[in-house]
Amino acid sequence: MIKLENVTKVYKGEVLALHEASCDIQKGEFVFLVGPSGSGKSTFLRLLNKEEDPDKGKIFVAGKDIGSLSRWRVPYLRRNIGSIFQDFKLLPNKTVSQNVAFALECIGRPKHVVKTQVPAILELVGLQKKMHNLPHELSGGEQQRVSIARAFVNRPLILLADEPTGNLDPATSVGIMRLLDRINRTGTTVVMATHDRGIVDTMRRRVVELDGGQIVRDQARGVYA
Amino acid sequence: MALKIDYVVRETGRNLRRNLTLTVASVLTVAVSLSLLGVALLLQKGVANATDRWEDGVEFIIFLQPDISTAQEDRIEELLVDQQPIRVERYRFVSQEEAFDEFRNELFAGQDEITDLVTPDILPPSFRVVPTELDADQVEVLASSFEGEPGVRKVIRATEEIKKLEQATDFVRWIVLVAGVVLLGTGLLLILNTIRMAMFARRREIEVMKLVGATNWFILVPFMLEGTIAGIVGAGLGTGAVYGANRGFERWLADDDVLAILRSFAVEQGEVWGIGLLLLVLGAAVGAIGSAIAAYRFLDV
Repeated sequence: MIKLENVTKVYKGEVLALHEASCDIQKGEFVFLVGPSGSGKSTFLRLLNKEEDPDKGKIFVAGKDIGSLSRWRVPYLRRNIGSIFQDFKLLPNKTVSQNVAFALECIGRPKHVVKTQVPAILELVGLQKKMHNLPHELSGGEQQRVSIARAFVNRPLILLADEPTGNLDPATSVGIMRLLDRINRTGTTVVMATHDRGIVDTMRRRVVELDGGQIVRDQARGVYA
Repeated sequence: MALKIDYVVRETGRNLRRNLTLTVASVLTVAVSLSLLGVALLLQKGVANATDRWEDGVEFIIFLQPDISTAQEDRIEELLVDQQPIRVERYRFVSQEEAFDEFRNELFAGQDEITDLVTPDILPPSFRVVPTELDADQVEVLASSFEGEPGVRKVIRATEEIKKLEQATDFVRWIVLVAGVVLLGTGLLLILNTIRMAMFARRREIEVMKLVGATNWFILVPFMLEGTIAGIVGAGLGTGAVYGANRGFERWLADDDVLAILRSFAVEQGEVWGIGLLLLVLGAAVGAIGSAIAAYRFLDV
């Protein structure tokens, strides 16, 4: 599903974000990216949906070499990849259901699809009762659920999560992880960058550890350190 | 993927409302600049109508008798050809039919009470002569040499008045034209800035759109439409102003007998609409280009 071949990314000619990183992630896997700040986790994720381009090496997503993807094809790549973030990136002036519907409207899905898919996904994340609330009326955990609903409503093949529990307390984080685990069980490949030792050690999934831009550990059913 | 009409309309309308002050500024700038351009074009058309016979360096016109014989006509043409290229640079023969066309469509355009009285056979054919030497004395010698020829009715010279009129309107036209172009550039920059502000105000939305895989067109079209609408509305106002100015001028001429001499300046309705169409196209182009530049630079596609 995802394959990196000797990928190197250098920022502004000096900051080495990734160095000769190679990694192969199968369909349906759940992978934790761990490592200190600045070790290249976010760069790893940003390379996968072509927000950044590598300086060296090749990246394959869903069997395609995304380095050879033309600029105007990038949106179609991103329709196969859901993304969630530490800061949720919800639109403050749209309600919960409008935020989720926006993701479908943006890719030209017909109205009747939007009408059926949005309530269904909100039920999956447990927010059907708050679909008419604005984001600031929700707790952090609920906001993250909305952002997961938005990322997943189009049923992408891959879900990228950049420290999704970074702003949440441990109890709320457990709820978010249960949700991600459920999504993973539907066959969606999940790659999650995290600093949360507790989560990684409880879930016991594949762990890829980065340090100074290099992959220093790749362990099935691993722990944080 | 086809863009949804209701989405585009909704987003464009929202942008226009949110940026009202800047949008109004760009619309008015485009309107003022385009009306200046329009007035310059009207002026040019008016002067062209009034002085058509004297264009391209024609210094004198040899009017022939309407009933001139072919032999006499050939004789005069021979005289002109003989003096080429030393004294006569070039000349043009204007037949009775051409003279009638000019009379009806340019000199007295739209004044049916006059043109109805005229038929081609009473108008004189003529030779319009461009001399090689433009020195006044030499032109005079050349012009008067035709005066005694059989079949010649009259030789008339480009008067100082016509020359001055052409120079003065040329000067005014250039000033108006330059001012119009500079203002049009300002309008373009204003539209560019309006769109940039609109995109900045909605940067979170744009970020999410890119993230979920919206195509660049989907993101750009509402913004480009916003700029184009501003340009078209501005052009519409400008066209209205030009139309109004022309109507005012016509009415002013009609009311005053002293100014009747200026009637040949009147511009036909068809020409005004032509100018209006040109202004609308210019306005739309300025709007579309301004917003496209803004969108392209800000969106980083």
